[in-house]
Amino acid sequence: MSSLVEISCVVNGTPTRLAVPPQTSALALLRDHLGLSGTKYGCGEGECGACTILVDGVSVNSCLMFAVDFDGRTITTIEGLAVDRASDPLRQAFVDKGGVQCGFCTPGMVVQSRHVLDKHPHAGPEEVKRGLEGNLCRCTGYKKIVEAVVTAAAAQSAAE
Amino acid sequence: MNAPQHASLIGQRIPKMDAPEKVAGKTRYIQDLNLPGQLYGLILRTERVHARIVSIDTSAAKALPGVRAVLTAADVPIHPIGVNKDNPPLKGDKVRCERDEVAAVAADSLEIAQAALKLITVEYEDLPPLFDPRDSIKPGAPVIHEAKPDNVAMAFDYAHGDVEQGEADSDVVVEDEFTLHRVTHCCMGVSGVIADFEPVSGNLTLYSNTQVPFLHKREFAEVLGMDPSRIRIIQPPIGGGFGSKLDIYPFEPIAVYLARATRRPVKLIFTREEEFIASPTRQPAIIRLRSGAKRDGTLTFRTVDVLLDNGGYTSWGATIPFVMMQTFSSLYRVPHCRYHTKAVYTNNPFAGSFRGYGNLQATFAIEQQMDKLADALGMDAYQFRLKNAQEAGEITGQGMHFKTCGFKDCLETAAGRSGFAEKRKALGAAKGLTGIRRGVGMASMLHVGGGAKIYPSDGCGTILKLDDFGHVTIMTGASEIGQGSETVLAQLVCEELGVPMSAVTVVNNDTDITPWDVGVHASRTTFIAGNSAIGAARKAKDKILAAASTVSNMRAEELDLKGGNIVRAADGEKVMPLAKMLRQLHFSDKAELVMTTNYYEPPSVHQDKGFKGDVSAAYAWATQVVEVEVDTDTGIVRLLKVWAAHDVGRVLNEMGIEGQIEGGIIMGQGYALCEDMPVVDGHLVNPAFRDYKLITAPEIPEMDIQFIETMDGEGPQGAKGVGEAPSICMAAAVANAIENATGVRITSLPFTPERVYSALKGKLQ
Amino acid sequence: MTAIERYLAPADLDSALAALAGGNATVLAGGTDLMPQINAGKVAFRPILLNIRRIPDLRAVEVGQGRITIGALVTITELKDNPVIAKAVPLLAEAADHFASDQVRNMGTIGGNVANASPAGDTLVPLLVLDAQVELASATGRRSVPMAEFFTGPGRSVRRPDELITGLSLPLPRLRTVSRFVKFGTRPALDISAVSIGFSATLDSGRLSDVRVAFGAVGPTPMRGRATEAVLEGAPLDAGLIAKAAATAQDEVKPIDDLRASAWYRRELIHNLLGKVLSDVVSR
Repeated sequence: MSSLVEISCVVNGTPTRLAVPPQTSALALLRDHLGLSGTKYGCGEGECGACTILVDGVSVNSCLMFAVDFDGRTITTIEGLAVDRASDPLRQAFVDKGGVQCGFCTPGMVVQSRHVLDKHPHAGPEEVKRGLEGNLCRCTGYKKIVEAVVTAAAAQSAAE
Repeated sequence: MNAPQHASLIGQRIPKMDAPEKVAGKTRYIQDLNLPGQLYGLILRTERVHARIVSIDTSAAKALPGVRAVLTAADVPIHPIGVNKDNPPLKGDKVRCERDEVAAVAADSLEIAQAALKLITVEYEDLPPLFDPRDSIKPGAPVIHEAKPDNVAMAFDYAHGDVEQGEADSDVVVEDEFTLHRVTHCCMGVSGVIADFEPVSGNLTLYSNTQVPFLHKREFAEVLGMDPSRIRIIQPPIGGGFGSKLDIYPFEPIAVYLARATRRPVKLIFTREEEFIASPTRQPAIIRLRSGAKRDGTLTFRTVDVLLDNGGYTSWGATIPFVMMQTFSSLYRVPHCRYHTKAVYTNNPFAGSFRGYGNLQATFAIEQQMDKLADALGMDAYQFRLKNAQEAGEITGQGMHFKTCGFKDCLETAAGRSGFAEKRKALGAAKGLTGIRRGVGMASMLHVGGGAKIYPSDGCGTILKLDDFGHVTIMTGASEIGQGSETVLAQLVCEELGVPMSAVTVVNNDTDITPWDVGVHASRTTFIAGNSAIGAARKAKDKILAAASTVSNMRAEELDLKGGNIVRAADGEKVMPLAKMLRQLHFSDKAELVMTTNYYEPPSVHQDKGFKGDVSAAYAWATQVVEVEVDTDTGIVRLLKVWAAHDVGRVLNEMGIEGQIEGGIIMGQGYALCEDMPVVDGHLVNPAFRDYKLITAPEIPEMDIQFIETMDGEGPQGAKGVGEAPSICMAAAVANAIENATGVRITSLPFTPERVYSALKGKLQ
Repeated sequence: MTAIERYLAPADLDSALAALAGGNATVLAGGTDLMPQINAGKVAFRPILLNIRRIPDLRAVEVGQGRITIGALVTITELKDNPVIAKAVPLLAEAADHFASDQVRNMGTIGGNVANASPAGDTLVPLLVLDAQVELASATGRRSVPMAEFFTGPGRSVRRPDELITGLSLPLPRLRTVSRFVKFGTRPALDISAVSIGFSATLDSGRLSDVRVAFGAVGPTPMRGRATEAVLEGAPLDAGLIAKAAATAQDEVKPIDDLRASAWYRRELIHNLLGKVLSDVVSR
């Protein structure tokens, strides 16, 4: 078996030192070692977006990322966004607009939406749809999710 | 939340109660649960699709450090599961399809379990396979199950009227064969289970995603030879259901066997690839349909012959004829109807239940023929449907009694808002095989909307309690699978008890606590569990108002519950706070708590042996019109807009019901356009989202959703079920729209670019 | 189980090349292809996992001497959004917009897409028509290989195990260059291409010159359409020529039947889509 690699990173605002096996995925590290089960396994090959996290503020599929690559990086998961005041309107919009049904895709949707709004603060429906093209949802038909993110963008713009 | 304190909650846009924790990533699904000391279970599946098992060598796997159990059929009682009891959880004698479980491992870690699987060697002796159901019923075909030497797993025959007479009465007759493909649920949360035996009592706790906990409990007791009262099923939140969790599947007893063998909790979770390979599918079908009509547009008869590829074993897929025949016999008024189905064994994957339950397949056939008949008669396709549409009061040949029926309103609304008749005419006149063409298509559906009496009982129990502070706990047998049932149940109870949503907790996930329910299926939960909850709330209200009457010197009928208070019914004037009344009851000489129970059994009947009877307490109707664009250079079909009109009885939670319809439309869009499970020589060739294409956000059409409120007399606040309805019409409507755009009618699904392009070029076989 | 003996994440190119020298390293850049290939058992780890993402030299985008060089670690998102790339080689930015999903574009790199050598790789067809050179480096030296000579089969290329792709070098398109990229699919992105077409040429007085046509997913490697180019080169672009070019393309591609499309359908698509591309060029 391979030896562990020591890394240090910031996870949801907390500086963290870890020893991880080099073949481990970031998703497995978050879920199995750090207990951050809000990040979901949906497919393991970057096709569904349920495992989306932010690395240095940019969204990635954690199932495709090697955990060792966390070294020196700042990681935000849904648990981080859950306590991020700036993301309150986004989460609330998902609730108020009916963007949640079974909820399994929801953490990945919220994290990816955070990235979309960071990149396009005034995003409209077409930008949001393209932004969420890598996040599959089987329940909602996406319409209410798109409405939620557009609403959050508008709320964010109004607050500026 | 959106409603003023005293206003009715009915029809409001109420956010789901579980949404705040879901958006925070705090909801713990089965994948997120871990028990102390748990082991990881994995299943070794066969590499062959039809073979005799000669030997299985597990010695090397057993010797691997960290492996706690390796089981084969030789280690467990033989107790087949499933609808025909033809599926032993671990296969001992032979394997019959790609899914087949030949061994299982429990180990200290997933990695060790994976390594152990690789150390198991199985020797097979291949048997001649069957991949086409038409081959399975040929004389001399190989036999897949010795107990069924003709390979027929199930057969259904239904008739009303006299189809020969119907033929004689017909001025036009059309006949087609429709081929329906295999798709799967693609729940975003993969299948999983945790089995845990309490070491002292030996009681089993099963953490399960099932949609039918009470039926499950009974079936597990049989499989395990256990007293059912010693089995408790806890349902963590489900990452999508859609009918996929309606049967018991081999992985669940296997996890229990592993837990029993190791005396440790065993967690068994699928990978996505395994989910594609080994979880249920929608039932593929070959439908031969012959229909006739008189020159005045009156339907005369239908004869239907359906062949179902049952796969290697029998799950609910084989029973979709229950629903299919309703559509054939009763969607439109048809005086003569004969229906025959065979579900035959092959060495393909087998189908389970899936949202719509055969109705997508039946509607695909019928609604294409409605267009063909209309065109043959030279009638407008919309007027032709309107002429034959059912109305309230009708009792159909199959014995279904439509006490309320919004079908004609659905037709008029969807057709009117889309400008269907004019568009169909104009676009049809411009149809062609070059460039980009547009078309519109229409389809309608009938589905059960007030439960479906298949089991001995179609009921649901509720236990309701109010605490000293006016907080209400609803314990219901009905499971939440993401569709929002707990929110609707809370809403209905709030409406009765005059308390805000924040005063309600719903407990719906533990068979030791909740009363019996037959399960989440057949679009029944709002109707059945809703009526059950309303009944429990009314009993509580009666008790509270009776007590209030004695302290207020008013008659109970003069009182009501509103805004958390006991009020005067006439003017809403506050008499006393509800909580105060509850405490008075509790801490007075009466020493009473307000706790009620209710069991609601719908006034439907079981079908007779000829499948006749009023099987549901209410029926749902819908019409959907779609507009598509066909790129004739590539065969790409784009869905531009959907106009949907649904008879939902009454809207209870507007946002919730929109969510059901939007999600269902998009699921139907995927069924029509892109989802497909090609199985070659018994093996699924695309077990990944890379090549199993779900609709993604940029592909969704514009949606115009209208509700037809028929205020069903039996429905909770007038509502009917809606969960399955929105997916049902889509493929049929898209087929009709493609024909309208190009003049080419395609009778097989899905409408992938290559299939459409081949059809346009006349090369579709 | 595959075992990684050492994990290295050097901060400079020389250290990375030294680690690669024995040919014993698995190179990790974005990881978007590596992780699923490992999980599916399609590739096995070598003893060293070499993460090259910490090498700043490989991220540069530079324009000079009539060429643009794009570092191997430039992500697909950067290809899409970088104003220098958008101005110099807009075709590449356009192709990047059809690539997978936002999350994958944020991780995946152009070097990785080239190294992976998929016949359906989304950047490869535009790189072919843009006449890119693959820049390779090893501990023993550097070399440039034209894209058209780089691929040897599905997942295979002339890159040696001790070599690293450091970047792509492209000549800046001339004035009056017209270029097009078409990826067949029902979605804007998140689709493995069943067919893609790249086209680039100089259009002057209705005649095409310096024509480059490339096709994706219709052969074991992304391919240049030499016969199609020959038909178009120097000739007046009219309906007859378009029909001839489309027919030539249909004949020269070498598609196979797979689960994404039949060979017949792929040839039909090549014919129809190239016709559309050329008609579109005429109409401008």
